[in-house]
Amino acid sequence: MSTRWYPIYQRGNPQLRVFLPNFWMKLVRPTEEQPANVVTFAVSTEMTKYDVKNYLEKIYKLPVVDVRTRIALGETKRDQTYGYVTKKDDVKYAYVTMPKTEAFTFPDIFVNKAEKQEKEEKSLDESKAGFRRFLDRNKKRPGTPGWYSI
Amino acid sequence: MSSTLIKCLNVAKTVGRVTFKNLLTASQNPLPSLRTTAVGGLLKCGVHTTAPVRNERLMEFFDDPKHWSENEVKVGRAWKPDELRIKSNKELHQLWYILLKERNMLLTMEHECNDKMEIFPNPERIDKVKISMENLETVVRERNKAYHLLETGETGERPQRQVNNAFGLRCTYKSCEHVLPPFMNTKWIKSRNLGYGGRAVHKFLLKYREKLYNAKRKAKNRSRNEVMMILRRNPNFDLELLKRKYADVDIDKLRKTDKTRGHFVPKVDA
Repeated sequence: MSTRWYPIYQRGNPQLRVFLPNFWMKLVRPTEEQPANVVTFAVSTEMTKYDVKNYLEKIYKLPVVDVRTRIALGETKRDQTYGYVTKKDDVKYAYVTMPKTEAFTFPDIFVNKAEKQEKEEKSLDESKAGFRRFLDRNKKRPGTPGWYSI
Repeated sequence: MSSTLIKCLNVAKTVGRVTFKNLLTASQNPLPSLRTTAVGGLLKCGVHTTAPVRNERLMEFFDDPKHWSENEVKVGRAWKPDELRIKSNKELHQLWYILLKERNMLLTMEHECNDKMEIFPNPERIDKVKISMENLETVVRERNKAYHLLETGETGERPQRQVNNAFGLRCTYKSCEHVLPPFMNTKWIKSRNLGYGGRAVHKFLLKYREKLYNAKRKAKNRSRNEVMMILRRNPNFDLELLKRKYADVDIDKLRKTDKTRGHFVPKVDA
């Protein structure tokens, strides 16, 4: 349950207990359509199916029926100028099946993004307009303080 | 031997693990009832919606919906080792899981932001959580080491030793546990590259050691020149202090040289 070194197991040894699990898990949007009770996780390549199941059941209290995993090879890229090849790290995807009563769809996180951007731009434009009006008022007396008036 | 000592020896055999006598079950999942939050004031809370498609427990992988599509999220700093040393083992255990869940949440959000090509606010949060977790682990390992040393006389850490690798350079070799003893496991023993030899390696070592020697020589000259300048500009400098700070420099010898003499008439006690 961790990336640390495990001692060897021989029959009769006490069960290995890891108190501070090290592994990370990311909930990702599935590339292909999955049934409602299947959730996709990107997981550390060192995790096994049992690890994923125990992790979700014990830490997140999620009921898990089945876990299927696959390792996706990282992208290889050839540098244009120098010709050398770089490779991104491999990723393990775990398709976790929950009981039929549970369901989950990946939420849309950036629903309000456009609105917020517009609001921010609008407030910025308003403050710019206000400053232009201020300059306009004081253009006949440059160099004097802004509150200078009759 | 008492039963407690046998238990401790069994514990000592299982090298490299972080275990405590008092903690009985593996991966206890505490609810974040503690005020000790992951980073600053970032509290994790589940989202209550009536939509059937949002699983509350799976929503723990996501940030507070208020922070979605924000450009900035205010967050505190990482945990320091000194702050963690005050906490009890149970509290550290609970904090570990809070940090773990927080890290998973941040990684999920980062992945999604990269997918949709949006700004991921405050990416340093991930580093802060990572640093906190590292500090927590050092504190726990310290305690574990101290306990093992007291009870068994050995640290409970993975045994390591200094060896020469194929380049002739010194490196730490961490031992592994095997089923077969070394005399039976010759194939594996031969596959390791410990110990060096050959013309190429010796030539390399000559050049490498020359480099190291040059660096050492220049450092020595540098400190000697610093002392000479200090003595020249401050003729009445405290020699004891200089000797303590520049332990490798022969200060009494330098005092007789011309370079430490300033451009003035020396004071002579009548």
